[in-house]
Amino acid sequence: MAIRAQQPVADRAGAVAVGATGVLPRRRSRTLHQEGRLAYVLLTPTLLVVLFLVTYPFCTAVYMSLQNKMVGSPGRYIGLANYLELFHDEVFLRTAWNSVVYTVVAVATKFVLGLTMALILDQPRRFNNFFRTLLFVPWAVPVVIVSLNWRWIFDDLSGFLNNFLITFHLTHDIISWLSDPALAMGCVIAVVVWAGTPLYSMTFLAGLQAIPKELYEAAEIDGASVVQQFFYVTVPRLRTIFLTTVMLSTIWTATNLQFVLILTKGGPANRTEIFPDLAYMTALGARRLGMGAAVSLVFVPVLVVLIVILTRRMLRPTDD
Amino acid sequence: MRSMTGTRRLLKWVGNGLLVVLLVWTLVPFYWMVVTSLKKDKEIYGFEATLVPRQPTLANYVRLFATTPFVKYLRNSTIIAVGTTLFSLVFGCLGAYALARLRFPGRGLIARGLVVTYLVPPSLLFIPLFAVMSTLSLIDTHQGLILAYLGFSVPFATWLLMGYFRSVPIELEEAALVDGCTRFGSLVRVILPMSLPALAVVAFFAFTQSWNEFLYANVFVNSVEVRTITTGLTLFVVEDVFFWGPMMGASFLSALPPLILYLVFQRWVVKGLTLGGVKG
Repeated sequence: MAIRAQQPVADRAGAVAVGATGVLPRRRSRTLHQEGRLAYVLLTPTLLVVLFLVTYPFCTAVYMSLQNKMVGSPGRYIGLANYLELFHDEVFLRTAWNSVVYTVVAVATKFVLGLTMALILDQPRRFNNFFRTLLFVPWAVPVVIVSLNWRWIFDDLSGFLNNFLITFHLTHDIISWLSDPALAMGCVIAVVVWAGTPLYSMTFLAGLQAIPKELYEAAEIDGASVVQQFFYVTVPRLRTIFLTTVMLSTIWTATNLQFVLILTKGGPANRTEIFPDLAYMTALGARRLGMGAAVSLVFVPVLVVLIVILTRRMLRPTDD
Repeated sequence: MRSMTGTRRLLKWVGNGLLVVLLVWTLVPFYWMVVTSLKKDKEIYGFEATLVPRQPTLANYVRLFATTPFVKYLRNSTIIAVGTTLFSLVFGCLGAYALARLRFPGRGLIARGLVVTYLVPPSLLFIPLFAVMSTLSLIDTHQGLILAYLGFSVPFATWLLMGYFRSVPIELEEAALVDGCTRFGSLVRVILPMSLPALAVVAFFAFTQSWNEFLYANVFVNSVEVRTITTGLTLFVVEDVFFWGPMMGASFLSALPPLILYLVFQRWVVKGLTLGGVKG
């Protein structure tokens, strides 16, 4: 039936085959066989996309990282030399530390802020839907635009932040938000948090609203305080959502290079350099494709762990 | 009992207070973007944070349309986002139907593979993909960029639709098959009409993700004829000098399509996120 499906004339013949119920066992195995063929026909475009655009490039990246390939010239196999060089490189070690700080602080802050936002929006209030729509707006704005917008807000001479602080006499001097080594990372993380919090609030709020109200009533009758209700009713019910959201967001936060690329380009003095940006600069700035691939692959061990856990979770309800 | 209502009231006011803080934190940057785009250069580069433009002007927008390739960028973004959306929908529906309804060896493996694929971030793939695109002469083409975007949108579409198709009662489809429908016919006439919300979610994500994408667009495209809006915006910076007026205007206009889609599809998107993005 697989192939027939595409030939309108054969439609009726297929119908007869389905309608006839004479020899069940043999026909069943034949249908199964045909189902298999049809399945692979239907899956061909998807499989091609996956193999050609993800699997193959990923393998190439691994292979490239073992070469000294430059843009526009073929590479030579050099074993683990790229990786060895990396682990003696001060900029790389700095980047590794930055990436950990960046990811952990950003994810933790988004989590706390997102949960707060969700709890607030879960309270009974007039116009709550309207407030929710407004609070989730950053999620819909492209990251490039978010980053450019904040770069303008942080601007030394005419940015909103400095002008605001000076107008209200909160500071006398111009603060160089993005080029002060002590402030730059904090500012970048603030932008990441601004853009990323709504995703957390959305999933948490959906989780909160799925908790049966009876549970709270029962807890209240048993004399549980509001705090106790939160820790003994809300948190256990949201645990799965917490874990899934944090893991997904960790992958996306750690590998998004747009914020740093637009806000600071990794500066001042590599204070905000993180893996994906270093990989980008190495591959396209310094034109060292092999080394760039090596830098981007350093995240893979963490990624594998997250993906293994997430895959199991994301398929659980449907996979039988 | 009295202390309970006291706590409730306290929580309510704390909640309201925090809500105001969060609203300010969320909306002020966006407001600043719009206001900047309506100011004259003299006011933009002054030393005062004027919340309302003194002499509102559309000069920045005029400049944008008259002297920059902004319209071209918009056109390219639209072509690429629409193309990606259409292909993702078609490929996603076909693949998801197979995974949801047909029994065949390797089904579980493929389903798992799709999720893994979806989770592999572009920042791991752009370097080898750059080499692939160069070899196939797909650099600086709309097709090349659409192809690259299918890498993340097709796995997501297939996986999300797979979950949704499974929730369509199998009896409906069996009835159609008995009545003489082909498998393909039942996908088109039974499953798809019942899956409109899921299709909307897939279309929304495919469109906005390709509209917002930056990394591939930046690496695989150099020419103005193909450049999309996200990378085009960064070109308003000339030798580290930012033209903030036109740039904020362009930012505002380019943020509108995803924003409007978000407002229209809001309910479905949140449902899709929780149904797809965060299951269980």
